Amino acid sequence: MNKERTLGEILRQQGVSRRGFLKFCATTASLMALPPGMVPTIARALENARRPSVIWLSFQECTGCTESLTRSHAPTIEGLIFDAISLDYHHTLQAAAGSAAEQARESAMKENFGNYLLVVDGSIPLANAGFSTIAGTSNLEILKEVAKGAAAIIAVGTCAAYGGLPHAKPNPTGAVPVSAIISDKPIVNVPGCPPIPVVISGVLTHFLTFGRLPDLDHLGRPLAFYGNNIHDRCYRRPFYERGQFAESFDDEGARKGWCLYKLGCKGPVTYNACATTKWNNGTSFPIESGHGCLGCSEPDFWDMGGFYRALSEPIGLSARTVAGGAIGGAALGAASGLLNRKKKAEALARHEKIGVDELKDGETK
Amino acid sequence: MSKTSLERGLNILREQIDSPTAAFFSSCVHCGLCAQACLFYTETCNPAYIPIRKLEPMRRLWEQEYTLTGKLKKLLGLSRPITHEELEQWQELVYNSCSLCGRCSLVCPAGLDLTYMIRKFREGMAASGHAPEGLIGATTRAVELGSPMGVTLKALEAQAKHVKADSGLDIPFDVEGAEYLVLLSSMEIINYPEYLQAVARIFHQAKKTWTISSEAFEATNSGIQIGVSDIAAELVQRVVDAAEKLRVKTVISPECGHAYTAIRWEGPNLIGRPFGFRVRHILEVLDELREQGLLQVEGVEDARMTFHDPCQLVRRGGVIEAPRNLIRMVARNFVEMKDHGKMNWCCGAGGGVSANEDAAEIRLKAFKRKKKQLERLQVDGLVTACANCRIQIEEGLEENDMDMPVIGLTEMLASHLKDEEAREGGAT
Repeated sequence: MNKERTLGEILRQQGVSRRGFLKFCATTASLMALPPGMVPTIARALENARRPSVIWLSFQECTGCTESLTRSHAPTIEGLIFDAISLDYHHTLQAAAGSAAEQARESAMKENFGNYLLVVDGSIPLANAGFSTIAGTSNLEILKEVAKGAAAIIAVGTCAAYGGLPHAKPNPTGAVPVSAIISDKPIVNVPGCPPIPVVISGVLTHFLTFGRLPDLDHLGRPLAFYGNNIHDRCYRRPFYERGQFAESFDDEGARKGWCLYKLGCKGPVTYNACATTKWNNGTSFPIESGHGCLGCSEPDFWDMGGFYRALSEPIGLSARTVAGGAIGGAALGAASGLLNRKKKAEALARHEKIGVDELKDGETK
Repeated sequence: MSKTSLERGLNILREQIDSPTAAFFSSCVHCGLCAQACLFYTETCNPAYIPIRKLEPMRRLWEQEYTLTGKLKKLLGLSRPITHEELEQWQELVYNSCSLCGRCSLVCPAGLDLTYMIRKFREGMAASGHAPEGLIGATTRAVELGSPMGVTLKALEAQAKHVKADSGLDIPFDVEGAEYLVLLSSMEIINYPEYLQAVARIFHQAKKTWTISSEAFEATNSGIQIGVSDIAAELVQRVVDAAEKLRVKTVISPECGHAYTAIRWEGPNLIGRPFGFRVRHILEVLDELREQGLLQVEGVEDARMTFHDPCQLVRRGGVIEAPRNLIRMVARNFVEMKDHGKMNWCCGAGGGVSANEDAAEIRLKAFKRKKKQLERLQVDGLVTACANCRIQIEEGLEENDMDMPVIGLTEMLASHLKDEEAREGGAT
């Protein structure tokens, strides 16, 4: 693709109408809580934007973030925006392999030094550099090297943003997020396991339009998407207000679509846009499918005490409780083991031989 | 106390629950993989047939009697006691819709040997009076007449006469010091007498001495199928006595699946001591003869053939390569089913299912799995090595209007034996 063409030209070539393009600009503006007057600005900026170079680094991750972004639905305008950036390096999507791939990264870095966007998914292991390497180079080294010339960094997915699953207790790889390593570049966290596709394209659009990154909350997330919690925007909220809760996944309440709070929904403490933008081209989001929110866009959501434990229940155990429990359990176990042995021995002693006559005669006959 | 009762059944279950059972019940993670492994589930999609669920009353008894939480639950009335009504409901699940095929045990990621437990559960079911009528009848005949189908020595002698007329070979009875003691299943004596003739001809060619015991010719063991170890032990003891009296080196289990499991794997445990002789399946013996060059065949079949693995042979018994070595001697176009060897699908009638009239309907439903396999393969003929599988498959094929010969492997080999005269003429 010719890098010198503008986004507007590329989108028109791909068959996107002017009307479709403006609709996307308006959607993005409203999603990001920008005033309607900004729509023409966005349109103008996008029309004339040169395709920025994007380098995508994957570290300790499952490729779920990439899957979410590329396969979420049939080509949409978000998808085309992706076509319209110059994705110069991406493990899963690039055609080049081996040293050619690394060369692509190096030449993109050289050509666009200071201007390219760095997208990271996956966490970085610090316990041992050998836990995750690319072409023999540790994740830590690559990240530092590529970050040097980046205009900004987008940490996609909970792993890159907060450490995610690799960071879950006991964190065997010593996994840390991007922000724990890079401190001299603007970083946007786009957490979620995986994050919503439109959130990525929204952040990119903002960068193209204004030349800077959107406003962030205290956890480095774009306020426009992570400003509200799931619970406040949930369509089941009225049931919560009325105290109508599903008590199990197959009871009457669950069938009637009542609030899933007691089944462990983390909606009240989770800030994300699922309840409004939804998934799969606006089809639904997990609560709509009958399952509580896992809280995947929050730091350490794996260690929040179990997905099916209600938020207000006490969680976590102290070492003393555990030790006490273990000693008590061992004693009880030994005692019940002895009792069980006795019971079985008694049963064996009571055994009376069974023959054919017994089979033919009995209480049930 | 000489009759079945709930208390007696529960007491038997208390005896049967051992440390593997306790470990199994406590390590089930409810993943449901066993469901997909069970043909009674896959062919009906009825969740009642999920293998681990078939054990629910036994699991509850274990929990109530052998675990602290279970004891508390029982005390607080949170765990229902086991009743006759419940066990009656479970009869269908434990006997009709389980062929003890062992596929669930093999796929369980937590290593639960579900078949081992169902076998134990049947002990409790039988002692509480919940064994199916058909199996009680078969067991009674096995104990009283020596054969679950009521086949007497007279009937066997009559078949031996036919063999003599057909092949000119004598069927040796009660020969002391013979190398092999041949056992037969009643089904073979009545439905497939060709087997007896095939064995006679093969041993004649191999110049091996063999015999049948007039006191214990029956190989099948209804005690295992119904789940009464006392009876199973008695039936095993008959064979052991005969083999030791005739001082044979090897006892040969016939083309029957569970008979092999019964005598070879459960046998010594049932009677509580090791045997003084070897036990082999007929296919293992034939494969040994093949290796020694004592099984000489001629002519190769061009028909597209496949082999149905009897579950007790492959999955519970480990006889996997022998049948393949043997078939390849005489069939050029041998093809395997998709799931063959240890992952084969059961015919649907093993483990006492075929002796149980109540199970006739579900047994033919379960056959649909084999039907699908055969349809995919498009073969001209099916070889197997279990008379029970054979009857079920023949019935299933007929029921589904499929025309395909089903043949026993021993018979097939015998039909290719090198001509006696020609061989001897060639040798001299």
